[in-house]
Order: sequence, then C-alpha cells, then structure tokens
Amino acid sequence: MSADESDLSLVRRVQRGDKGAFDALVLKYQHKLVKLVMRYVRNPAEAEDIAQEAFIKAYRALPQFRGDSAFYTWLYRIAINTAKNAVVSRDRSPIEYNVDRNSSDSDESYDMQGRMRDPETPEGLVLTDEIRSTVNAAIDSLPEDLRTAIVLRELEGLSYEEIAAAMSCPVGTVRSRIFRAREAIDRRLREVFEGGLGRAEELG
Amino acid sequence: MNEELDSQLSAMFDNELPGAECELLARRLSRDGDLKARWGRYAVIGAVIRAERGVTLEGPVAGRVSAALSSEPALAADEAGQVSGRASAYRWWQPLAGAGLAAGVAAVSIFWLRSQALPGESHIRVPAMVAANSTVALPGGQPALQNTSATAPDSFVVPPVPQRRMMVVPATELADYVVAHSAYSWPVSRGNLLSALMVSEPGTSSTPGGSDQPAPGVQGNAVPNPK
Repeated sequence: MSADESDLSLVRRVQRGDKGAFDALVLKYQHKLVKLVMRYVRNPAEAEDIAQEAFIKAYRALPQFRGDSAFYTWLYRIAINTAKNAVVSRDRSPIEYNVDRNSSDSDESYDMQGRMRDPETPEGLVLTDEIRSTVNAAIDSLPEDLRTAIVLRELEGLSYEEIAAAMSCPVGTVRSRIFRAREAIDRRLREVFEGGLGRAEELG
Repeated sequence: MNEELDSQLSAMFDNELPGAECELLARRLSRDGDLKARWGRYAVIGAVIRAERGVTLEGPVAGRVSAALSSEPALAADEAGQVSGRASAYRWWQPLAGAGLAAGVAAVSIFWLRSQALPGESHIRVPAMVAANSTVALPGGQPALQNTSATAPDSFVVPPVPQRRMMVVPATELADYVVAHSAYSWPVSRGNLLSALMVSEPGTSSTPGGSDQPAPGVQGNAVPNPK
C-alpha cells in the first residue's frame, strides 16, 4: 500500500474532472498549509491569502501532477514558492507584521458567516477558542490508549505501523483506537458547531 | 453512516487505507456533504492537537478556494491524460515489449530445437508405412495377413500403432518450455504455439490432415477383406 494512496485517489478524481474531490484535499491540508506559510509571513490574513493562492495554483497544475512524489510534498513546494514570491513582490520582511484588518472588518457586506469563519474577528476568536477548548477537553477525557494513539498520529505524525510498535499492539488496533478517539472528539465538536453558531450570532 | 465507513474515513484521512478501498471512498467523499464535513472536522481535530492557527470548523481557506474555483472549468480528462499519457504511454509498452521479446525467444527456440532434432527431414515423421514384410495377426485364428508390398493396393492391413517422433527434445518438454514461458508471451501467440505442439504430437490430432494421416495405400482402421 502506498503511503499516499488516499491522496492519490482524490487527486485522480480531480484530474478526471471531479471538483468535489479537490474540496476534500483542501479541507485536509488547509491548516497545515497556513501554518507552513506562516513561516514566511507573520500576518495570518496574508498567510491565508497565500495558502488560497497556492491551492488554486495546485488545482490548475494538477494535470501535471504524476504522483512521483506525495501530493502534500508537491503542494507544500507550491505553497513555499508562492509565499517566497509574495514576500519578494511585496518587498516585505518575512517577519514583518503590519497589516490593518480594520478596513476589511468595517465592510458592511462582510456578513456574519464570514466573521465567524475568520479567526481574527471577535466572533471567530470566540468560536476558535471554543473549538480549541472543546477538542482539548475531549482529548483529556479519552481513555489513555485512545489519547496516546491519536496524539502519536496527529502530533508526532507516526504511521499506524510505528504507533503499533510503540504501543505494542496490532496495526488494526491502532486504526480502531484512532478512529474511536476521533469519533469521541467529533461528537463534542458537533455540539459546539450546532450551538456555536447561535452564540456567535448573539455577539453580532 | 455506519461505523465501518467512519473507520475507513479515519484511516483514509491518515493515508492508511488500502488503495482499492480508497478509490471507492474517494468517490463517495467527493459527493457526500456529510462525509466531507466529518472529514473537515477530522482536520480540525488534528490542527487543534498541533496547535495550528486559524482553526475554524470550515477552515480558513476552504470556502474561499471552493468559491474561487467554482467559476473554473473542471479539469478535463483528456487534459490530464495529455500529461499522464506520456507517463502511461511509457508504461504500457514496457510489458508489451517484454511479452513480444519472450514470445520471440520462445518461437526461435522451438524452431531451433526442431531443426536440431530432424536435420534434413520433415519435422513430422510420417507414421511408419506398413513395413514391407510386416505381418499382422488377426483375431479368431484367421490367417495372418501379410503386407507384401505397396503395389498391392487391395491388401487390407491393420496399421501399426504410430511410432513417436524421434526428437532430441521430446514434445512434452517442449510444451513445458512454452508453458513455463507463457507468463511472458501474448495469449494469442501462446495459444498458437501450444496448438502447434498439440497438432504435431502424434496421436493428439483429430484432424485427418494431421501428421497421423495414413500414407497412401494404407487404409486406416481397415478391416479384413472378406475375399
């Protein structure tokens, strides 16, 4: 089994004209990509712009992707090049942080949904904080074996096989533990999502 | 959604799902909004654990990317094929060339072995003509019939059991050779070679024109002349 088979199956679908499969790839890697771009630009809004541009470039270049490397490696290269070009073209220091978000926030057409999605707005920050606290609380309440498995996977980036070796259990058990950990956290997350919208709207 | 599907989704998210299952789930994922939302929440969970910025349920850029690409045409299959076609073109002829080479080697070997086996003769040994002086005993105590000569066309004899061809390499070994190399040859050519061997093998052909056809003057399955 290829380590990148999951991504490749989605990539092939995009190459055959299935845009929905690209949404799944964006959902999966958007956080990582923003974090990566933040090494070059410290402004979160600019990082998101660059990440968005990188995703669009990747989509347009996807017909040239042959699967010789992992998709995320290819995507990260595009993002890094996009970030470097952005830094050069705007003649900014990579560590500079000097962007005023008030101009965009004051736009009356900026709807509530947009404000909630934006982690820099008060509504977005409330929701983001709630997401963080909910996920962290859910992780803390997990049984030890589930918590260890999900943390080794998400934080350390270990493969199932490596986790199985670390936890002295079969790979199938690792898969089950990670799945059950995600399900437990996801249940709490959905509650926040359903209640979070109402709370955030009250702030507006 | 059932638990098995969710388990598959979790494994696919980690790039730990077998390829065949990935293909099916990717198709469903691209169309199923609920499944995609769950997929997105899995990403959020990972981002929170890694303490990444901009963690929102819908993600910082997903909606914007989707909106930006909504006006763009979907990637055409032929467009993707132009690029991947070069790679695939490179890939498809490799087994073809290998198969052709293997079939060629097998064919040359067969002809060479046969030419070595019967120098100066036809590769098919005609079933022995009834020897000029062969005598065949008939059941029932009847007088034995004697094949006096080929010039006595009215004589009826029971043809002897065809003798095996005299070859350096027996046909069975030759067939084994072809079968052993069949994995590298085209099914059509493989079939032709095996058919040729079977036809040329004495006693295996059911066609009257095969190598087991009796020589002129000798009646196959002859019965005694009542005269």
